[in-house]
Amino acid sequence: MAYEFTKEDLEQIEEIKSRYPEVMPATLPVLWVAQNRFGHVNPEVQNLVAETLGLPHSHVHGVAEFYTQYYKEEKGKYVLDVCTCLSCQLCGGYDILHYLEEKLGIKKGETTQDGMFTLNEAECLGACGYAPMLQVTNDQYVNHLTKEKIDMLVESLKKGEKPEYEKIGMPQRENI
Amino acid sequence: MSTADWKNYEPVLIPDIKDLHNIDVYIKNGGYKALTSVLKDKEKWADPKSVINEVKEANIRGRGGAGFNAGLKWSFMPPADGNPRYLACNGDESEPGTFKDRKIFEYNPHVFIEGALIAAYAMEITTIYVYIRGEYRIYIQMMEKAISDAYDKGYIGKNIQGSGYSVDFYVHSGAGAYICGEETSMLESLEGKRGYPRVKPPFPAQKGLWGRPTTINNIETLAHVPAVINRGAAWFKGIGAASHPGPILYGISGHVNKPGVYELPSGVPILDLIHDVAGGMRNGKKLKAVIPGGSSTPILRADQLDGITMDSDSLRTVGSMLGTAGMVVMDEDTDIVDVLWRIAHFYHHESCGQCTPCREGTGWLEKILLKIKNGDGEVKDLDLLLDLTTQMEGRTICALADAAAWPVRFTINRFRDEFEERCKKSVHAFI
Amino acid sequence: MPEVIIDGKSYKYEGQHKLLQFIQDLGKEVPFFCYHPSMSIPANCRQCMVKVGQYIVDRESGKHELDDKGNKVIRWFPKLQTACNIDIADGMVVHTQETDELVRRAQKDNLELILINHPLDCPICDQAGECPLQIQTYKYGPEGSRFEVKKVHKPKRIQLGPRVVLDAERCINCTRCTRFTQEISKTHQLTITRRGDKNYPTTAPGTEFNDPYSLNTVDICPVGALTSADFRFKARVWEMNQTPGIDITNGKGCNIDLWTRDNIVLRITPRFNMDVNDHWMPDAGREAYKIFNENRISRPLQKLDGEQILSSWNNAVATFIEQIDNTENKNILVIGSPHASVEENYSLAKFSNLMGLNQPVFVPHLKEGAGDGFLITDDQAPNTVGCRLLGFTELDQKALKKEVVKASLVILLSDHLLDRNVLTHKDLDGKFLITLATNHSETTKRADLVIPVTTAAEHAASYVNVDGRIQRTFRAKETKYTNRRLDMEMSEGRLDRYGTNFDNWVTEDNKIDCLPVWRFISEAAGSKGLDLVLSDGREIMDEISSTHNPFKGVSYQLMDEQAGILLINDSKEKTNA
Repeated sequence: MAYEFTKEDLEQIEEIKSRYPEVMPATLPVLWVAQNRFGHVNPEVQNLVAETLGLPHSHVHGVAEFYTQYYKEEKGKYVLDVCTCLSCQLCGGYDILHYLEEKLGIKKGETTQDGMFTLNEAECLGACGYAPMLQVTNDQYVNHLTKEKIDMLVESLKKGEKPEYEKIGMPQRENI
Repeated sequence: MSTADWKNYEPVLIPDIKDLHNIDVYIKNGGYKALTSVLKDKEKWADPKSVINEVKEANIRGRGGAGFNAGLKWSFMPPADGNPRYLACNGDESEPGTFKDRKIFEYNPHVFIEGALIAAYAMEITTIYVYIRGEYRIYIQMMEKAISDAYDKGYIGKNIQGSGYSVDFYVHSGAGAYICGEETSMLESLEGKRGYPRVKPPFPAQKGLWGRPTTINNIETLAHVPAVINRGAAWFKGIGAASHPGPILYGISGHVNKPGVYELPSGVPILDLIHDVAGGMRNGKKLKAVIPGGSSTPILRADQLDGITMDSDSLRTVGSMLGTAGMVVMDEDTDIVDVLWRIAHFYHHESCGQCTPCREGTGWLEKILLKIKNGDGEVKDLDLLLDLTTQMEGRTICALADAAAWPVRFTINRFRDEFEERCKKSVHAFI
Repeated sequence: MPEVIIDGKSYKYEGQHKLLQFIQDLGKEVPFFCYHPSMSIPANCRQCMVKVGQYIVDRESGKHELDDKGNKVIRWFPKLQTACNIDIADGMVVHTQETDELVRRAQKDNLELILINHPLDCPICDQAGECPLQIQTYKYGPEGSRFEVKKVHKPKRIQLGPRVVLDAERCINCTRCTRFTQEISKTHQLTITRRGDKNYPTTAPGTEFNDPYSLNTVDICPVGALTSADFRFKARVWEMNQTPGIDITNGKGCNIDLWTRDNIVLRITPRFNMDVNDHWMPDAGREAYKIFNENRISRPLQKLDGEQILSSWNNAVATFIEQIDNTENKNILVIGSPHASVEENYSLAKFSNLMGLNQPVFVPHLKEGAGDGFLITDDQAPNTVGCRLLGFTELDQKALKKEVVKASLVILLSDHLLDRNVLTHKDLDGKFLITLATNHSETTKRADLVIPVTTAAEHAASYVNVDGRIQRTFRAKETKYTNRRLDMEMSEGRLDRYGTNFDNWVTEDNKIDCLPVWRFISEAAGSKGLDLVLSDGREIMDEISSTHNPFKGVSYQLMDEQAGILLINDSKEKTNA
């Protein structure tokens, strides 16, 4: 399959380039544009990014490989990044991970056969106070996980309903 | 306000105001007054330097973990020469246990924006970048909205509020790399490269982004600036612990009833934070240990905590550090061996791989700890671990190796019996 | 003058220096891997750690602060410093591993860490014997390993490009190779991929490492991670002799080393010359090792009834003279060669002169657009400028053809004019062609008499590069008529020195039956009773320097001392300054 940016993507890329005095700084944001468009940045997409920006292929490859959020291959429709790091570990992050492994019938790092879910163990996602938690495909955080909440999440994702933004108030305050 | 009065403290970073993220609400509540003042009130703020002096005087110690006086850092910028100069705001918070800056992005983005703009003006900076970790996509969107609102209201852009000062402000998203929270690694990442920390010197103030003078500040650090300008350095210094003054965003997580982010003066007693602020231990369990300021700060046993307050001086007396004030609380059921292995796993995963001691050492630490966790370790492995920490500490370009070594050293030293318990029994027998 | 105190000894210095380079320039040592003097300094291997401090000086009195015992008090940096990236400063005090236990310990610690994920497969690794990691581990490393867990596994035997093979497990992530493609060759073909201990260098997927300078990464790789696809498993370094030489495949004259074993050149590597090629050379120049071994002309060839047959040297000399004697001088054309050395061309010219023949002509060998402004030149020959400086007439193709038409006997020195399409078979119809050559070609096949001569690997001779710099070669390979043990200038390898009769290391067939041009010319002149005895390159150069103005003052000794001499005026003054 040949990958191509749309006209809108290219406009966005031009806008991104305008934020920096050089082209190279656009590497990370444009990899994001590509991943949002194609769902991953496999080697072909990396080359597309390199050619679009006029940067060496090896540079874009090296950058894409350094950062964990870029998918270097196709993933499931939903990527579930379950945090198991420190606070989440203390509050049952591994139980959530293992529950999901069981429920989806896959091990961490794998994708379900129907291509619906990829399950990953993630490092600290910066939601330590709301542990255990997971992130859906680099987007919404789902906090305070329980088995019931996982069941509901998986069901609604299967139906194509993405989780809503969970606003968590400040424990000290009344209004927010 | 002394530390003992923390109960009466009125928050300034995250005050109890509904919809404060909305720029109109922010302005209605006195927002952007500080910026307008430094830009236009020439009697009070004769020149950019006067702003730096006030901030230096306030002694806002960097809230990203290193605790360096922000105003002093600003004063290291060389004189402006008409060429680009940059402010890079560090919103890459990724240290396990730390989740405070996101609260600013979410609830009060403009206080940070205003602080960054004041900093930029004070250092005669031409462009501001805020680097936010890629996982915070939702907060990146919030920040982009807030910045765009501030552009619309004329607080960012050309000739701000008719003052003649112009500056641009952009969000740069990370993409999953803890190391990019290290300031020079963040610059590399901003420049579109692999996040390898830079060798210092040259320091960013001399050669930062694209070889130009650059200052890097943490989000919370900058968010404190408007209040310092509005109320003065003396007010700020009067809050909390004298050696590390001002309000702090405490992130409390782990086995407490009310985990979350709390804005309180520095120097609150740790036990108060656990028992009063965060609602006490979950399920009535006993406290076993606390990591005071993010996973790299040395762990403290419950019996070390009496009278210890959350400021650098007090924590030093028991051999720990304030770090990011991201406190992780552990109850009596916690398996310390598992916890240490998980911390080691984190640093192994996040080492950029540039320097030998960190690249190789973090992996070795984790592998030995996994062996011990699985019951296959021997007591000599504990001594090897301690030895390895000395082989890593202070031998690398950035502090990630130190951050990986300290928890291993201090956790083993402070919970040695639990580690030995997990090791294989000696095979030597007397015949 | 500012001074720096290293291991208790004071050294004065001028200008700016990095500590590691300064220590090396003193002839002392601090171990390192990632540092390379011609590239940026990443300070990532952390091997060159030393203890650095400064004497405390009272600002007002300018006096050193002294301790109880009267020793100067030193304020040490709180951490050990990497010597590679620290600038030396006046009054700096440095302790290296020679005097400081902490430094020794730190260097040992670091080596232990480098080695934990290294495969330790030296017995099957090409790098063994010339491996900085191996050498420094012997010198500074720990005796054993405490690593009892699983090593990280990475790709092995990856053909990165046509000439370079990667073993990622051996890699220690010094980034010399990636920096080379970014900073020196500027092809940006390599990057580090992955993160942490899974890091290794590679190309972007689907691209190959075909950089025209790719093999330099093999040279600078401090371990066996990058090896030469061609040289892989051919020889252990300690079995080979290393002899300095000059790259003869283009006009730049890169300084090289020829690596031989049993009189076969096995590889060519660049030799440092700041003014010519720094530490680098193009891949093409390395492949030239084959021309020293393969397809060589051994023993003279003479055409009999249209077929070339092996002849004897006596017959060859006799035929050579006979042909000249039987041809009117004006019908003889002597052609010199930009592919041959100054001494060879000079010998031919001298003979030509004594015989009353023409001053040799030559045709430059240029390929427009082949040059890259770095080490690859349009000029395909090593000695075009040398021919000019000898006063040879420079002809283009058309002019040469005109001259050939007039001749009935053509004497051609080391230039495959048919192969490079300067002449055609038709041009040579009915003419007697004598060629002095090293390798078989279309041109030698056409020749009526072929005199096998020595290559740049078999004689000591000089070449003048495109910038007007004269540099010389050394004898690396024996011929049938030279002897390594008797020839003081030939390099001896370990086996030459210590081998016993039972090593059976010398294959007679690898020695080519050929003579230096000047030896053949001397033989020929001798049989004519001419006073022309040219015994070796060194003497010939002395003669040239006294008779040819552009070569004034040039000698082998001076060339060796100065790593070549600029002959062209404006720049000459620069180097002599």
